[in-house]
Amino acid sequence: MNRSYYWLVIGLSIPAFLWLVPTLWMVSLSFQPNEVLARTTSSTLFGLIPLPFTAENYASLFSFGQTPWWFMNSIIVAVGMTLGVLFVSTTAGYALARMDFPFKRTLMIICLIGLMVPEQAVFIPLYTLFADFGWHNSYHALILPRMAVPIGVFLMMQFFKAIPQDIEEAARLDGVTWLRIFWYVMLPLARPAMMTLAILTFLYAWNDYLWPLVSAQQREYFTITLGLASIQSNFAQSEGLGRVMASGVIASLPVVILFLIFQRYVVQAMTVGGSKG
Amino acid sequence: MAPRSRLSQTQAAWLLLAPFLATYALFLVYPFCRGIWISLHDWNLLAVAFNPDAKEFVGLRNYERVMWGKNITWSLFNAPLLQGLGLLALVLSALLHRLGRLSRLNAIVFGVVSLLLVFFPGFYPDEGGRWYDRRFWPTVANTLVFVAFTVPGVTISALLLAAALNRETRAMGILRTLFFLSQVLSVTVVTLIWQIMFSPRQGLIANITKTFGGTPINWLTDQQFAMAAIVIATIWWSIGIAMILFLAGLQDISKDIYEAAALDNARGWKAFWYITLPNLTRTISVVVILQIILHFQVFGQSHLMTQGGPNDSTQVLVRYIYQTGFRDSELGRASAMAVFLFLIMGSFSIIQFIIGRERD
Repeated sequence: MNRSYYWLVIGLSIPAFLWLVPTLWMVSLSFQPNEVLARTTSSTLFGLIPLPFTAENYASLFSFGQTPWWFMNSIIVAVGMTLGVLFVSTTAGYALARMDFPFKRTLMIICLIGLMVPEQAVFIPLYTLFADFGWHNSYHALILPRMAVPIGVFLMMQFFKAIPQDIEEAARLDGVTWLRIFWYVMLPLARPAMMTLAILTFLYAWNDYLWPLVSAQQREYFTITLGLASIQSNFAQSEGLGRVMASGVIASLPVVILFLIFQRYVVQAMTVGGSKG
Repeated sequence: MAPRSRLSQTQAAWLLLAPFLATYALFLVYPFCRGIWISLHDWNLLAVAFNPDAKEFVGLRNYERVMWGKNITWSLFNAPLLQGLGLLALVLSALLHRLGRLSRLNAIVFGVVSLLLVFFPGFYPDEGGRWYDRRFWPTVANTLVFVAFTVPGVTISALLLAAALNRETRAMGILRTLFFLSQVLSVTVVTLIWQIMFSPRQGLIANITKTFGGTPINWLTDQQFAMAAIVIATIWWSIGIAMILFLAGLQDISKDIYEAAALDNARGWKAFWYITLPNLTRTISVVVILQIILHFQVFGQSHLMTQGGPNDSTQVLVRYIYQTGFRDSELGRASAMAVFLFLIMGSFSIIQFIIGRERD
């Protein structure tokens, strides 16, 4: 490596650090006492270093308030949605990629059109639909709409198409049924694609805001994303700035950890999710 | 071994497709059609909830009430700046196509967009006239302004970063991670962070300004700065995807071209301008369209950071739909706007699809 490379790294470290500052500041504020924050948010180095230090905000989050409950809701909704999306996407993706049946092309075009419909354009009729069923304020109301989004199907379909034909043909000659081939041969092969789809869905579920806002009106069914929105408008007065920031950190922890562990999959998932709507 | 009941291929396929098709039909196709149906009715959320018959079929009245007005006329000189820009772009796209710098498809897309720019700003209420909904078009305009600043901001910074970070070393990997990190945060965490960052009393920006003797700006409550604040927060939030897509695009450019260019003394900025950019046009258009689709649907930033204010200056389309539907209970009008949103999103999706097709 030559000298210009090191200058480049140093030169890029400055914007990278600036990029990190807002997040760092949130973490730092969450470790400072509320009484101090009410007076000033820039105690030590503009507040970027948590001095005076306290873990009181986190302790109080878990002793009173609804944050732990919202956190559990988010886990339930995100895991439920991920399992649901994986199930409908792998089955449908496999059928569309590897099997022949009448109206296949028509079906694919209908699904493709579905990719163009943004959530923001259907949330009103979805609201009335769930209201007719009396389903609002429940976990399935938060989970079900995402299962209808065809992006996972296309992701799995592309993956299954890339698997060589002969694996399947050998099994067919042995008289194995389609469903068994799907379950015992194809699914184990599809693990990397399923992982990508799972992470994409989990991130979406954890961070989704508009649909939970519309559907969950009772605070017991708030996800952490929605709960955080409900306490941030009056943060300084009622909750204490440090405490709200601690909620923000808790709300980000799962996705940040997921990102740091599975970085490769996350990047892939967001690329696929991004470029396909 | 006695054969158990075997499914034919067709039966097995439909069985595998059934779970997806059921949810797809129920939670996407049906709501989509129902949305259009609602938009044709005078449909009050609360009234219809108590009495399902309390809706009235009004045809296209809702669209008229949202988008049209009394005594609306059209003139080429209503918004000279925008319309002039549109005309200029129209001539430019024809010219560039003639000179072979723009493929026919791109020229058509570009031309249609500039035509719209000439056409739409030309409408205005004549003497004694008025828009039926005075807030709708300004809201659309705000959304477009947001898109017009966010998309180039994200695209340019992501492109420069990607070009600089395009090396497989440990240090570069760490730097990429740092830039990408904010992308995984939820919109409510982003607005929480930036609301306080921008706060004139407690904010980090204000604290730094004060240290250097400046007067803190009321970012979120000053009409001049509110939109800028939302754009800054959004660029900070969403640079990651664009950067990753550009990095993927850069991988496809062969190293040989750079080596050959280095012999001709083209390095650094020169190499970026003459090699990287021309080889990346496809990726750039994918990223731009993707960002347009993504940011046209902005909601959380405006809803949480500024509540659409001050004075409606950051009111955006999705927030207006949400308010019309759930605060004013006017589902018919809100649905008409949602159909409008879908038409715009849909046309960009089609462009995206065509560009994606072109690559294969």
